[in-house]
Amino acid sequence: MNLPPVDSVFYDTEYETMPRDEITQLQEELLLEMIPHAYEHSALVHETWENAGVHPRDIRSIDDFVERAPFIDKNALRRFRDERGDPYGGTNTVPPDELTAIMSTSGTTGDPTLVPEKWGGGGPRRPAIITRDFWGMGVRPGDHVALVLFTFRGPTYGLFQGLGTIPILFDFDPDEMQRFCELSLRYRPTGLYNFGSVLINAVREVCDARGYDPRDVFSSYKGVVFAGEPLSPRARRLAEEWGVELYEHCGVGDVTASFECGEHDGLHIWEDTAFVEEIELADAGDGGDRKELVATALVNRTAPLIRYRSDDIVRVSRDICACGRTHMRMWPIGRKGDEVVVQGKTILPIDVWTAVESVDACAMGLFQVIRTGREVDRLRLRVGYAGKANEASVRDDVGAAVLVETGVEPEIELVPNAALLKLGPPHKIPRVAKS
Amino acid sequence: MTPWGVGSYEGPGGREPWEISHEEIQRDMGTASKTLAELGVGPGQRVLFCSMLSEAGQFWPLIVGAMLSGAQLSCADATESEAVRVAMFTRLIEYRAVLGVTPAILDGLDALGHPYADVFAGIEVIGARPGAYERLRAAGLSPRRFVLCGPAVAIADAPDAPALVSASEWEIAGDGDRVVVTGRRERATTFERTHTAVRGDVVGNGVVWRT
Repeated sequence: MNLPPVDSVFYDTEYETMPRDEITQLQEELLLEMIPHAYEHSALVHETWENAGVHPRDIRSIDDFVERAPFIDKNALRRFRDERGDPYGGTNTVPPDELTAIMSTSGTTGDPTLVPEKWGGGGPRRPAIITRDFWGMGVRPGDHVALVLFTFRGPTYGLFQGLGTIPILFDFDPDEMQRFCELSLRYRPTGLYNFGSVLINAVREVCDARGYDPRDVFSSYKGVVFAGEPLSPRARRLAEEWGVELYEHCGVGDVTASFECGEHDGLHIWEDTAFVEEIELADAGDGGDRKELVATALVNRTAPLIRYRSDDIVRVSRDICACGRTHMRMWPIGRKGDEVVVQGKTILPIDVWTAVESVDACAMGLFQVIRTGREVDRLRLRVGYAGKANEASVRDDVGAAVLVETGVEPEIELVPNAALLKLGPPHKIPRVAKS
Repeated sequence: MTPWGVGSYEGPGGREPWEISHEEIQRDMGTASKTLAELGVGPGQRVLFCSMLSEAGQFWPLIVGAMLSGAQLSCADATESEAVRVAMFTRLIEYRAVLGVTPAILDGLDALGHPYADVFAGIEVIGARPGAYERLRAAGLSPRRFVLCGPAVAIADAPDAPALVSASEWEIAGDGDRVVVTGRRERATTFERTHTAVRGDVVGNGVVWRT
């Protein structure tokens, strides 16, 4: 696809503003192509559908699909992998020797699972994720973009080069933030993918130490994307003080991804890449508009996940966004597996975050909720702290702040920040631990 | 030249930005394909790259080279926390080569209680960086030297052998105990006896580092 004129608001106006009935029609066409393919070639889908007594010939419309198709979740995939000795958990649909790459999921919710990929053969029909989103932020060919990422998902920078931009490559590491500041001032990038609370705090420390003005560092950026987990209130405050326009980004059930647009009113999911449903939370009673997100791949024919339960709690809307895009939006709320119920109170990691980072020694916001079960007697927290702070005093201060924030007195284990940073990339240290 | 991106390389004073063109990346892909073929990585074989995004200028040609040669590739970060991913990959998938193993990954394997001999069992080519090479040898394995000499990738063609850079693209030499690198062909960034972070002895187009 040729690049649109630089003054075009949208990268792909036809698709991004497609009327709802046409989106539905397109999804139905793609879905009815995908189902027989997945049933025939994905061992996991085949077994799941056989066990449910459903055959692709039973599915002639989206309505049939929603009514009859069985769900799949990550545990089913792991079980299939372990019981059958199939490293791909029954998801791979192409002969193994035709694969280009074997990547993996982040592993936030347990051991990473393998993602088989066939480059150039199983991707989206039209550029979608990242391309449409960064164009919408105002990033244009010839611009520099700062990429602050991992490598385990593969060479994401190719998508930015396809957009005609020039990536500047950084590790997702607080120690890279001095270089980030220097090169931002030198190359004046317009886009950043992606940031998190720990890195924002690290930028502040670098600017304090080196005398950079963070407003200047970020002055060229039209959009700064954060992902992996919600931005902490402290980090958001800092970024906003610096004049940074933040865009939230989130995965959609290992099937596709979502980004905020300039309206910052929900995250758009490109519905030509996935069919997304929202289902009632089984144990939530009246969950209101909080639902579990379920996604089905429409373009990934190499490892299509069909009716994949994400465990993500979201709110969604299919109303047209004020930005003019017609594709649905979601608002991430949390993960089903993250909540703990203490003394009748439901607590998610986000609920203790403000309290933890309000204590100076814990400003990085590194902590874990110890979750031995959904219902626990005590709220146990493992909290990271910096420097040579007085541990007893820090523990008391964090405890008092958490009590004010949640109404529950916590039990706190203090550990150095470095011990928590080792547990994973800082945007995604496991916020919940079993012990 | 058309800009490809801004990578980085390790100099004596730390990480230096490295402007890279599409033209040189294209040439480096060809070189990488040849190198991988010499390591036996070809159609039907698999290779796991352990690297950081800041090293993409050095690793992207290898990644595409693997793809062009019909091999399959996997990626993990070269960090302590990624040891779990490296161990998962080698447990589930049969690899011909694992390239770029760092001391940090070995620290992570130690923390997980995974013996190196188990994690890397049956892998013909283990490309290990300074610090990791010595630890793997001490564990009874036969790794090959793998080191980034500034912008140039150096991989040994046999256990015990020096790590080799592409002689058509790079000239390396010693300056005191430092390895310096000179680009033989046009690049977006000029390398002329540029000092790298690597300390060691240069033998032809090979390097034996000192730790």
